[in-house]
Amino acid sequence: MATITINGDAYTLPEGEKLNAIQAAKLCGVEIPYYCWHPALSVVANCRMCEIEVGAKDPATGEIKMVPKLVPGCQTLAKDGVVIVTDSAKVQEHQRMIMEYLLLNHPLDCPVCDQAGECGLQDYSYHFGQATHRFVEERTVNPRKDVSDAIQLNQDRCIMCTRCVRFTREITHTGELHVMNRGNHAEIDVFPGVPVDNPLAGNVVDLCPVGALLDKDFLHTQRVWFLSKHESICTRCATGCNVSAEENRGSLWRFKPRHNPHVNDYWICDEGRASYKEANNPALLASMYVKKAGTPEPVAVDQAVAATERGLKDVVARGGAVAGVLSPFLTVEEAYLMARYLKSLSPQAVLALGPVPVSGGDQTFAPDKTTGRTGDTSFVVPRPFTIRGEKCPNRIGVSEVLAHFEGEVIGWESLLARVQKGEFAALYVASDALDPAFDEVAAGAIRPRVGFLVVQDTHATPLAQVADVVLAGATFAEKAGSYVNADRRLQYAEAALPPRDGSLPDLDLFAILLARGAGPVRSREVLAEVAEAIPAFGVARGGVVPPFGVVIATTPREGADAGGAAVGGPAVAESGSRFSDPWTTVWRDHGGRKRI
Amino acid sequence: MSDFEPILTRNWNVPDGDTLKVYESRGGYQASRKALTTMDPDAVVGVVKDSELRGRGGAGFPCGLKWTFLPKDRKETLLCVNGDESEPATFNNRLLMEKDPHQFIEGILIACYATRASTAYVYLRFEYIKAYRILERAVAEARAAGHLGKNIYGSGFNLEIWLHRGAGAYICGEETGLIESLEGKRGWPRIKPPFPAIEGAFRKPTVVNNIETLACVPHILERGAAWFKSIGTPKSYGPKLYCVSGHVNKQVCVELPLGVTARELIDVHAGGVWKGRKAKAAVPGGISMGLLSAAELDVKLDFEDIRKTGCLGLGTAAVTVLDDQTSIVDYLYNTSRFFAHESCGQCTPCREGTSWMYKTMKRIKSGGGRLEDLDILQNMSNNLGIMPGTTICGLADGAAWPFKNALAKFRPEIEEYIRTHQDPSRRITPLQAAIASGVSADVAVRHSLTVLGSAPAPAALHSADGGNRP
Repeated sequence: MATITINGDAYTLPEGEKLNAIQAAKLCGVEIPYYCWHPALSVVANCRMCEIEVGAKDPATGEIKMVPKLVPGCQTLAKDGVVIVTDSAKVQEHQRMIMEYLLLNHPLDCPVCDQAGECGLQDYSYHFGQATHRFVEERTVNPRKDVSDAIQLNQDRCIMCTRCVRFTREITHTGELHVMNRGNHAEIDVFPGVPVDNPLAGNVVDLCPVGALLDKDFLHTQRVWFLSKHESICTRCATGCNVSAEENRGSLWRFKPRHNPHVNDYWICDEGRASYKEANNPALLASMYVKKAGTPEPVAVDQAVAATERGLKDVVARGGAVAGVLSPFLTVEEAYLMARYLKSLSPQAVLALGPVPVSGGDQTFAPDKTTGRTGDTSFVVPRPFTIRGEKCPNRIGVSEVLAHFEGEVIGWESLLARVQKGEFAALYVASDALDPAFDEVAAGAIRPRVGFLVVQDTHATPLAQVADVVLAGATFAEKAGSYVNADRRLQYAEAALPPRDGSLPDLDLFAILLARGAGPVRSREVLAEVAEAIPAFGVARGGVVPPFGVVIATTPREGADAGGAAVGGPAVAESGSRFSDPWTTVWRDHGGRKRI
Repeated sequence: MSDFEPILTRNWNVPDGDTLKVYESRGGYQASRKALTTMDPDAVVGVVKDSELRGRGGAGFPCGLKWTFLPKDRKETLLCVNGDESEPATFNNRLLMEKDPHQFIEGILIACYATRASTAYVYLRFEYIKAYRILERAVAEARAAGHLGKNIYGSGFNLEIWLHRGAGAYICGEETGLIESLEGKRGWPRIKPPFPAIEGAFRKPTVVNNIETLACVPHILERGAAWFKSIGTPKSYGPKLYCVSGHVNKQVCVELPLGVTARELIDVHAGGVWKGRKAKAAVPGGISMGLLSAAELDVKLDFEDIRKTGCLGLGTAAVTVLDDQTSIVDYLYNTSRFFAHESCGQCTPCREGTSWMYKTMKRIKSGGGRLEDLDILQNMSNNLGIMPGTTICGLADGAAWPFKNALAKFRPEIEEYIRTHQDPSRRITPLQAAIASGVSADVAVRHSLTVLGSAPAPAALHSADGGNRP
């Protein structure tokens, strides 16, 4: 157990991790400003913002011996006996000097800069800088340029922290970005004809502490202080990256990654980053439909729900078989309520997993401690990042629910075969995402064989167009709930947007069908029920999911020993704090509202 | 001084002194043969350590001590020879390579044996094409004669020397910048630790030595540590190649015991200040080391005494003389231009500070100086470099020291220059001053219009090249 002294106070650090002074001080509530340091990248100590006074305490005599010069905090190991001073006149004078230097050639165009509001230069200017400077010479103005079709580089705003360069070298190993020229003419650039083109390219924008690297998709669309951030999960693949879904005026404007060391580390892929757009798609279903005299007609929500219930109950009353298709885009809670509803209608109802979209194989970026690295890598804990070929968020979670109700997981193909044999009088398809499987061919194959077809979706898919009832469900952004990723990690996503007019979140639809009683249904309460009902989800007892998620137990499959030793690892709720650069959050000592 | 026998330069004026035949006929490769065949590597390190040979590259770090920092359990060691002699006015390494390449190769051989390095990279300054060709031939000669290659002298020791030409940057003379450049990367110095001895070129334990340091090694082996310590001054032992340039009658590179005074160098060896003038100041060892005033020329040029004058150190021992008609403003303008151009752009204080200093000097020189500029320059130079801990490498110290010394020793002259060299068109405008001091822009504009009336158009605050590309 390490005891360190920060500004005269002794603190005890937790065991285990190798921390530098910035991390250790943060744990103790002391802010050491920095720009170039990032926990996933090697330490180069070139911004010189984190310089502190460092000393060592003699354990025997208690005498403190200080290093005579300033030392970068990013490279100072917080080991037992270290003495750190972050608030001395010397340190403060140095911080003022660095802020003055950094702003010498900076255009100070905050009013038109997208980074304003989440900018390291702005925040630190207020806290560590000064309102004036002594520079009266001509500024060096480095050019603005594009480094890819999606990313713009305003070199005049750049502070040469080289985080972006290190990212492309150390994490993606693609190395598109580099530094050219010297001195204050140094520029970040790409080689001619070689743009920043890798699946993680967008992360360089997030890494940039200033407004130099900009996402053209977000450029000049929103001032960041108007955005409400919602802790969401990307639904684009089975990795389940933690994202912040940022909303204003009823639209999503961007995804930003949230740190989760067990899932996505600090990154998201470009495909996931762009997937926020689906929430704003003007083609989303704006109403529910019931087929009247062969034509779907828009109806009120309650009429559509009533039509669904009536149709299904008719089929059951006439002894017809009912089948339900649970899309892997549904949350665990939705899948559970849907399964309960259909089983409550008819215990013989067949539940199947919807089509699982797969596109290519998994793509893993596996940084290590040496490849592409420069500088001090002793603090780096390399963690891989995988983009899954399985392009849905919750196959495992829905499968666990199905296995609980059905004893097995019936795949889409086998259900489709049974549908085509005319086995079912009623089919209830819940989809919630643009699923190419529900195309004209599927519609043509299914429709003539099913007496009563309910489609719950967000788009008017070919299958929805021929359905008897179309229920307009929620997009990923409009619903809260939990997903189980490819590593069996259960993660909870908040809703970022209210339900669209004419639609209802799927969970509410199922709750109404189940007649769960008055008041809106809460996903946390349903999750608590799931945790009680299905052993695999026992780790989410009380509907509580830890911030970094939790690994669910493995359900013994049919044929396996019922007492099964095949239970997943211990359900330890991993602790640890979520890393974010200070400029991306509101400073707590401003007493301001907390954004995240 | 007459009894001093030149050691490092003894083959310089011998016909064909750069060939293996002549070198061997004058006792060459005896020290390496002795070391490889009769001595243990650690014993060689011991002898060099005992000689207290200090690195000739600039910082004066004890060479033998550096070799002992290598990890004991290392699998592979690399030796990088720093031949990126880029300090202005320094040319002793060039002569060492061009005139006596085999002495240098023998030094590499012994150093590699002592550090158990079987690969040596010679990082040569790009401009040294002649030295490169001479070394290329000399390495081939040495390999053919069995001084390099496999199983040298039957000792089982192997060594290959690779010559590598740099790409023309001052910063690549910094040891970690050199290593990065050697690896094919941009010559950006690395943060230490890890020091090169632990993790250097290609992440292997690496020794980086200067050419002159290695040239001393065969002689120490041959004549012993006691002989070496009999030359020079306390803590600064051995012979040293001094370069004298600038306003002297004869620009020379001369071998002398460490501790010769600047005045002796100028008057005796360089034939005195040119045109019958007096020296106003002298740069003691490459421009990054600072400035000696005329009154300080009697200081001993060794690793210790020179610091008493406020200079950074001995550096490369390249003395540049400024005569009494040279303006210190010109000197500062030139040094600051050099460092602004050569700053690698990595650390904030150096990247921004060197160009700020240069721009300020440019303005002062052209007639727009203010007395308060000197306080700003003083403040900047106090806070720049590894000495106050604000940069990774020492380039910023080198940029700061000329200002520190000049402002301490010649401030009245600079102030006088500012007072007497005023050009209204070069003065900073009230608008520029207002922007710097944070007055809101509209007030500033009104202010400048009323005060200046028909003043020249203010120099653009933004221009494509910032007006300062050196």
